[in-house]
Amino acid sequence: MGSPEAFVDLVQRHQSMVFSMAYSFLQDRSAAEELAQDVFLELHRNLASLQSRLHVVNWLRRVTAHRAIDRQRKFRFLTPLVEIKREPVAPAVQHDPILTEVLGQMIASLPAKQRMVVILRFQEDLDVADIARTLDMPERRVRSYLHWSVALLREKLTRRGGGISL
Amino acid sequence: MVSGAIAREADAAGRGNFSMNMEDQLRETLRRRDPTVGFAERVAARAQSGHRAKPVRRLRGLWAASVLALAAAVVLTATSLWQRAQEERAGRQAVLALRIASEKLSQARSKVLWRTENQ
Repeated sequence: MGSPEAFVDLVQRHQSMVFSMAYSFLQDRSAAEELAQDVFLELHRNLASLQSRLHVVNWLRRVTAHRAIDRQRKFRFLTPLVEIKREPVAPAVQHDPILTEVLGQMIASLPAKQRMVVILRFQEDLDVADIARTLDMPERRVRSYLHWSVALLREKLTRRGGGISL
Repeated sequence: MVSGAIAREADAAGRGNFSMNMEDQLRETLRRRDPTVGFAERVAARAQSGHRAKPVRRLRGLWAASVLALAAAVVLTATSLWQRAQEERAGRQAVLALRIASEKLSQARSKVLWRTENQ
């Protein structure tokens, strides 16, 4: 993993995961790229201490999640997340693109930790135990955040007449 | 009774359907996407250049530390000068007070002497 080419390969292999976590959390493409770059630069500094590919993936998820939450704390007064227009996305085959956009804005309005829990669950497909390990929080809290967030999103969507079949 | 059970079943089925759709929709909304083209190369270039951002941060830190040190030195010097000026002023006032007291005593002595001589 020491050569520049190997590092480019490593970044290419994981860039989608890191960038998507940052983007789903921040809802800002350039801020997400900046955060993803910082995460990979930190990875470059710590390459020697990472043993396996799985270790790298877990490390990247963990560092991205914590950095995104920290960034949100720092800039919470400057970023009106709810008002941010979501980046245009490619139309999904079986999903309503408007609903996707609305749901994206609703996810962006969740508190930072709850938002990251939802991202790790539904984007990264992690189970409760893995999310708890990634975010350094008890499993019970992860379950509670997940339950609370999904219930809130469901309620908001229902109130808007969200387009999901009841 | 039967219709209630059927309604409950339909409601439960509806909720299950909703949950499944909700989770599907969340997965769709949060699906992975790629950064701009050339992202990996840009990161690698920055990594190879020894994280150019770092020295800038260090310089910024040094600059902030020097400004703080300078401000502290200015404050300390000003405080010390002010204290010295206060001490000098207090000294001058004490000398003036002694001089006035001495003059008053001298006047009183002259008066006493004058009265004694005239009696």
